Amino acid sequence: MQQAYKYTVLYFLLFSLLLLLSGILLFGEKIGFSQEAILLYYLGDEERFLIAKSMSGILKVVLPHIFAFGLFGMVVLHFVVFTQSNRSKYMKFFIYAFFTLSLLEIFTPLLIINGFETFAYFKLISFFLFEFLVLLLLWILFRSIVHE
Amino acid sequence: MRFTLIKDLKQDKSMRPILSGLLLFTLIYLLSDVYVTKLTLGLLSEQVQTTLFGDVDEFLDPISRASFLEYIHMQIFFMMMLVLTLSAIYIRMTNKKAYSLIVVNLLMLSVLVTLITLGLSYFVDAIFIDLYLFSFFTWHIVALYMSLSSLWSLNFATSI
Repeated sequence: MQQAYKYTVLYFLLFSLLLLLSGILLFGEKIGFSQEAILLYYLGDEERFLIAKSMSGILKVVLPHIFAFGLFGMVVLHFVVFTQSNRSKYMKFFIYAFFTLSLLEIFTPLLIINGFETFAYFKLISFFLFEFLVLLLLWILFRSIVHE
Repeated sequence: MRFTLIKDLKQDKSMRPILSGLLLFTLIYLLSDVYVTKLTLGLLSEQVQTTLFGDVDEFLDPISRASFLEYIHMQIFFMMMLVLTLSAIYIRMTNKKAYSLIVVNLLMLSVLVTLITLGLSYFVDAIFIDLYLFSFFTWHIVALYMSLSSLWSLNFATSI
């Protein structure tokens, strides 16, 4: 890979870390890292004067994330394809895991407000698994750039 | 990023107008971004300070933690995609010239510093606001130069 492109990808890794960090902070600030907090955020609570989220309110958040997750996934995964890991049996797993976790992360709120409260667990688990998977992919990319 | 593999972009009748369009939109985005930032966050140290921390005398509320995190989260995504695309085009257009590495590093570093100092200004100390503004203008100027330089190379250079 040309030296300048290597730098570009390295900086992209740093931006991705900032994106993950801000995402975690935002999740903690707005929703919270427990099943109760997630239900409270989406379903509201009259006693605490918390308004339940509406379908249109959730769609306003979901819509830009569908495009953003797709684009981010394409960029990160296509960089990984150019590394040694492309030949490993895990590559296919990474690709399917990325898009499955993204779908769960994005669409579980719609299920939660429609009565499927169990999906609060899915929301939480998919969020952490997604963050872990992206960190793993970034680490693979970083190692590949440094060792090549 | 197929354009990185094409030998002579000037000979490619499709890629040249496509890339020119992308660069033109990048230019418009960069200029609009400065104007939108002026309206939302401010472009002077005092304005940014008032937006982030409010002003008791003028009864202005500070920006909430959640709103700030939403703003910076969105900025990180847009900026990383913009500089990644612009750098890829610029590197291809300057064709391995030594200074292109310096320009790309300057752009990336100034964008990183912009994002980090904005976060530090809000969460740590307002002293970082000046550094935020300096890096904000630096990355916009460098990105403008890269867009214009790439547009020039794409349309007027003898061979790319």
